[in-house]
Amino acid sequence: MPKEGRFMAIITVKNLSKTFKVKLKEKGLKGSIKSIFKPKYKVVRAVNNISFEVEKGEIIAFIGPNGAGKSTTIKMLTGILYPNKGEVNVLDINPVVNRKKLAYQIGTVFGQKEQLWTHLTPYDNFKFFGAIYDIPEAAVEKKIEEFNEVFELSEFINTPVRNLSLGQRIRCEIVASLIHEPKVLFLDEPTIGLDPVVKENIRTLIKRMNKEYKTTIFLTSHDVGDIEKLCKRVIIINDGKIVLDDSMENLKYHYLNKKIVEVKMREKVNLDNEEGITILKDKGYNLKIEVDITKKSVTDALKLLNPENIVDINISNIPLEDIISTIYKEGI
Amino acid sequence: MKKYIFIFKSELMSNLQYTFNIFVGFIGYLIMLFILFNLYRYLYSDSSEIINGYTMNQMVWYVIFTEILWSVSGGRKFCSKISEDVRGGNIAYNINKPYSYIGYSLASHLGEMFIKAIVYTILAMIMGYLFLGMFPSLSILEILALILISFIAIVISSLLVICIGLLSFRIEDSSPIYWLYSKLILIFGTIFPIEYFPKAIQPILNYSPVYVTTYGPARLFVNFNLDTFLNILLFQLIYLILAYLLCALMYKKGVKNLNVNGG
Repeated sequence: MPKEGRFMAIITVKNLSKTFKVKLKEKGLKGSIKSIFKPKYKVVRAVNNISFEVEKGEIIAFIGPNGAGKSTTIKMLTGILYPNKGEVNVLDINPVVNRKKLAYQIGTVFGQKEQLWTHLTPYDNFKFFGAIYDIPEAAVEKKIEEFNEVFELSEFINTPVRNLSLGQRIRCEIVASLIHEPKVLFLDEPTIGLDPVVKENIRTLIKRMNKEYKTTIFLTSHDVGDIEKLCKRVIIINDGKIVLDDSMENLKYHYLNKKIVEVKMREKVNLDNEEGITILKDKGYNLKIEVDITKKSVTDALKLLNPENIVDINISNIPLEDIISTIYKEGI
Repeated sequence: MKKYIFIFKSELMSNLQYTFNIFVGFIGYLIMLFILFNLYRYLYSDSSEIINGYTMNQMVWYVIFTEILWSVSGGRKFCSKISEDVRGGNIAYNINKPYSYIGYSLASHLGEMFIKAIVYTILAMIMGYLFLGMFPSLSILEILALILISFIAIVISSLLVICIGLLSFRIEDSSPIYWLYSKLILIFGTIFPIEYFPKAIQPILNYSPVYVTTYGPARLFVNFNLDTFLNILLFQLIYLILAYLLCALMYKKGVKNLNVNGG
């Protein structure tokens, strides 16, 4: 957990909970008729007593498997949903009490939901967003000019959004959300469906935005690349509860102190029952093992393999994706 | 207010793409008009006859006008859009913007209907003239007053449709309610003026949305009268305030209990 008092919290969440009432229906026609006259409900706890703080200027990854409570949390932070319990404070504003005031200070981009007017050009869209955030026209023009330069939009700024590629559209979605200079930007899966090159462009844009405008970024994504390349801190939520809140560095190197060693050998080696070593793949002369370095150093593991016996070797960290999957499945 | 004008303008710009569709849609309007024109020709033995206070020409102009108001309101599509916004969770993406959802929906709907209103009015007036060979006699001031009343009528219709759409916060599907509402408006005031109905129900209709959304403006169109104008305007203002308050209340209560899962 981040040390208290070290930073200026821009988002504070304390013991936040949200439950939904979901209608239950028994199977078949009989069940459908029964549910009309005697509806039954079950309570689903989407977010369960979570607390965290976010520092000004941070890019934070808020991740979890589907149905973990990520979107519900974002919706409570932006004032869309009312919490059942707990406190939320974003930029010293309580979203429940003063949603409209908060709307002027934050921006949102949902990768799966278009916010732009598809028949209008990005330029007209930016003017539209300027108007709804009560920004004087001259200031909007200036801002568009600046974004055009910083984010290289000139090639398609006057093309109707419906004719843009997905990557160009997402680029414009993000830029549109910056017109009113939000202090916090909520990005919900901004790179979904994009090819690797466009993904990289969007990540560069997000980084630049954070650097140039000091925008705090609250990111949810299933793309490990987004998380790894953009965020220094990660919060993992599962089953409505926070299961991890730590720096990316700690996540990678401290929680799972394991290395993957892939070797091609001249002679077969038996590593069964060796403490700290798990055999992942054994194809005779090709071996893939996982070394728990809290129990056995990599050097010791290599000694067991006999360096003279090794033809080729590759030592790597456990992919972040696997670390995250393990946390999703098993917790910490 | 400026932001709502911008929403109106943006929707108007977007809908310029669909001008051809509006012309095609007018064919449906024309068929309806043709059927009603023949119905009134059958009802009236000659054009000087007066039934329930209306000559045949007045009846045809009446229905031309109410049908314009009805078509321009575009209620069915608008209601299902609001209903879908609520049920599908789209409403969530409007909540965190610094405008009122009702103001946004209204401005965007009016922007969508603006070109349709102009196209339908011009074409319907030409068709009316071709059918009857005359226009109702109206001064410039009376035409301006009529435009005002018609505009307010469409705003009230739109707000009432928003209210029905927002029922989706409570019930699964608000379309049956809209179906009932639309049929009531269509029968009591669009095809026939209030005077055609039994005396016992006329006072009720005179206080109903029919009076402020279809009957009142069309009555003024065929027989302009300052007292009637002021009376309709007063009722419209009351309806406007009440419909807005009802929308705002339903929205506020609905949003508090909003369930938007996933995403």
